[in-house]
Amino acid sequence: MNNNKLIIAAAGSGKTTYLVKKASEIDSGTVLITTYTEANEAEIRKKIINRKGFIPSNITIQTWFSFLLQHGVRPYQSLLSDDVHDENIGFLLTSRKSGQKTDKKGKPVRYNDRPIYWGAGDFKKYYFTKSMKIYSDKISKFVFESNKASKNLVIDRITRIFDYIFIDEIQDLAGFDLEMIKLFFMSSSVTMLVGDPRQVTYLTHHTTKFKKYSDGKIKDFVLNELGKKIDCEIDETTLSPSHRNNQAICNYSAKLYPALTTPKPCTCNKCREIITNHEGVFIIQPSDAGKYLSKYNPMQLRWSTSTKCSTEYQAMNFGESKGLSFPRILIYPTEEMKKWIKDDNHKLKNGTRAKLYVAITRARNSTTIIMDFDNDDIFEGAEKYFFKI
Amino acid sequence: MNIKKINIENYKCFYGKFSLDLNNGINILVGNNEAGKSTILEAVNLALSGILNGRYLRNELSQYLFSHRAVCEYIDGLSKGTNPAPPYILIEVFFEGDDYPRFEGNGNSERTKECGVIFKIDFDPDFQNEYEALISGGEEITTIPVEYYRVNWKSCARETVTARSIPIKSVFIDSTVNRYKNGSDVYISRIIRNDLKDSEKVELSQAYRKMKESFMGAESVQAINEKIKNKSKITTKNLQISVDLSTQNSWETILMTYLDEIPFHQIGKGEQCIIKTNLALGNQKSQKANLILLEEPENHLTHTKLNELMKSITESCADKQVIISTHSNFVANKLGLEHLILLNNQNVTKLADLSKETFNFFKKLPGYQTLRLLLCRKAVLVEGDSDELIFQKAYMAQNNGRLPIEDAIDVISVKLTFKRFLEIAEMISQPVAVITDNDGNYEIKITQKYKNYADVSCIKICADDRNELNTLEPQFVDANRSDLTTLRDAIELNYDKYDTEEKITEYMLKKENKTTWALKVFESSKSVKYPKYINDAVKWCNV
Repeated sequence: MNNNKLIIAAAGSGKTTYLVKKASEIDSGTVLITTYTEANEAEIRKKIINRKGFIPSNITIQTWFSFLLQHGVRPYQSLLSDDVHDENIGFLLTSRKSGQKTDKKGKPVRYNDRPIYWGAGDFKKYYFTKSMKIYSDKISKFVFESNKASKNLVIDRITRIFDYIFIDEIQDLAGFDLEMIKLFFMSSSVTMLVGDPRQVTYLTHHTTKFKKYSDGKIKDFVLNELGKKIDCEIDETTLSPSHRNNQAICNYSAKLYPALTTPKPCTCNKCREIITNHEGVFIIQPSDAGKYLSKYNPMQLRWSTSTKCSTEYQAMNFGESKGLSFPRILIYPTEEMKKWIKDDNHKLKNGTRAKLYVAITRARNSTTIIMDFDNDDIFEGAEKYFFKI
Repeated sequence: MNIKKINIENYKCFYGKFSLDLNNGINILVGNNEAGKSTILEAVNLALSGILNGRYLRNELSQYLFSHRAVCEYIDGLSKGTNPAPPYILIEVFFEGDDYPRFEGNGNSERTKECGVIFKIDFDPDFQNEYEALISGGEEITTIPVEYYRVNWKSCARETVTARSIPIKSVFIDSTVNRYKNGSDVYISRIIRNDLKDSEKVELSQAYRKMKESFMGAESVQAINEKIKNKSKITTKNLQISVDLSTQNSWETILMTYLDEIPFHQIGKGEQCIIKTNLALGNQKSQKANLILLEEPENHLTHTKLNELMKSITESCADKQVIISTHSNFVANKLGLEHLILLNNQNVTKLADLSKETFNFFKKLPGYQTLRLLLCRKAVLVEGDSDELIFQKAYMAQNNGRLPIEDAIDVISVKLTFKRFLEIAEMISQPVAVITDNDGNYEIKITQKYKNYADVSCIKICADDRNELNTLEPQFVDANRSDLTTLRDAIELNYDKYDTEEKITEYMLKKENKTTWALKVFESSKSVKYPKYINDAVKWCNV
């Protein structure tokens, strides 16, 4: 029996919508829908409520970390060390490698001017902060190890709670998260993973474990690491047309990932209902920003809150915007991104490439990039936009 | 689904850790008044519902919930400066089976995989600073600082739980009265609420809301409000009367249960008890298991009613778990000896653990002598009626005329079955004295026969080693040989005809006189003497 499925599809193809639809159709059986970011968790929640009017009692929606803490860590938290049996384990999100060694005064210990870290032998210091918060970069390792120590009690419990385990934005998962996926695949729960290898804007954590699969290579992980006993169907066709982007946007975004197939826009009437007189990909001069914003009211997308943009109009970071749709967007590219926009042979870092991809593919009607350009600059796939004088 | 085990720590009379394994179906708790039967029922109900005495405990913590000994140790420790940790109360209820994985985990005091809930009342570390200030403040502390305590209600998966989320619904049927302010009974409301489907609950609260609204819409009410409005010069704001719309739904606090048009709390206690029990037994919701906690049902019921109740319990307990506390042999008898759980100084004994032979023996016994043995403070086992009468009289002589039973000492006539009783007594450490004849062979009838109990501290064998005085009668005459006159007076014998010890003994031994003489001694006001082995038993009772 094939219980497991990996669905790979491009931006705007309705991955989350598909997942929500599948979950809503399940009447008997309990469903877990989990995803890495809180923004996407909220989006899933919203989509279910739109569809059903409420969240059915058989569906649980929670972020990956919250799920790991509640169902992975706490039920058998003391199997790795009896010391933590009565602790109320909390959670700390960290973007750096955690558990740096400190001396008695609390100062970081360095060796040859490099920081050194607690090893797994120093159990408490390795996994937890002083106030017993588990580090986000080690939580899935903790769960994996304690499941092993418990002879699979942790996974067995999860499996009996959730008949279906759906994970959205699977490309965000890394390291020991992938071991967890493997365990879900082996369990009797029906496991469905949905993701886009292009959109690796975040990773749950950075680790050497399974590093080669961290860059959107989830498909390779499934192909290489499962062994003969575990089966997982890979589906790259069910969700192929983009329900969000028009042809111009599809084509332009595809230039970022030439190795992958170019998605086509969905041609159904519902998707192409609203056609405006400003459709496609555009580049505007920064001096036109004010006029452009007032005429089209696009969502401004930026690298971070420190990126300068208009405070009179709504704005959002690239990473945050993942999973969301807007009629129009205005992108404030970074210097690196500008180089690629001018010359698509320019090599971008994976994270930057993913963020630019996410940004470009947010719009239904128009994706506009704001940057200086000369009259003789040529932007392949994009149109220079001027206000008529 | 059933409860398989309960752990109680430092709650009321339970000092330290107390564990009780439960049977599926019926469990009968017996034990002395202070043994903690009711406390167990109360604790289970608390852990499953958060309710104690009809109110949510969360906001009503008090030091009287804690084991007195644990409190004393803590206070003593404080005064001696040994820095004792503030004591905590722990109640753990473990479920059987794999049906509720959400409640599974090793977050329990046994540190192994269990499925269940943990109700803990402990010091809240958020108040660490206040607490430190308190204990280092130099003032004498005489109570537990319960104001810094919290209720920590979790599953074995260390997840916070609520009464709603716990799959086992308990129904506590006790003798005390717990009512909402309108008089409606807390527990009956809960039983009814638990049996309603979600849709029915919604309908009920909708109907209640409509009723409130139609009250407000009634012409007379509107007219009155108009009147009030015109009269009220005290404020510029609109003054009117209205039903309380602020309370959320709690129809159960407003609505009253009626029985044949009589408010539930106005009907007899016994009837209330039967109705609650039957309602609970009849609860239809199959997915929600029910636990029925029944406290001393014999208290309010006539024999016939009690019989009815026992019948419905035995008939419908197949899929419900019932825990009953009782003092009544009748209840235990009806529900089956194999379900008996004896409590004694925090020790638990199940009669099902007895040797099969003994178990079957007691099963056949009429009137359930066993319970008498278990429920008294001390038991004295005698062979027959005369022994019983003489021992009682001897006891009264030394205790200002009080009967042994008045001091919770039960004298049980057991014919020749001493050893069966001793088996139970040893098992539960119940103090028991045996008064027995040597039958002319002390070595075999006493020393050999009771050699297994020689070192059992709770068992005392009282017998005389003079083989020539083989039964009570010669022993009794022997004890009084220095004053035969008083003896003859007491048993109303002719001085001339019965002028020797032998003649008196012969008279007493005659079949037709065997009990009569003892009865006469018992009723006489003469102070006779008693054989040493009888007095030994009295002395043992008075220790």
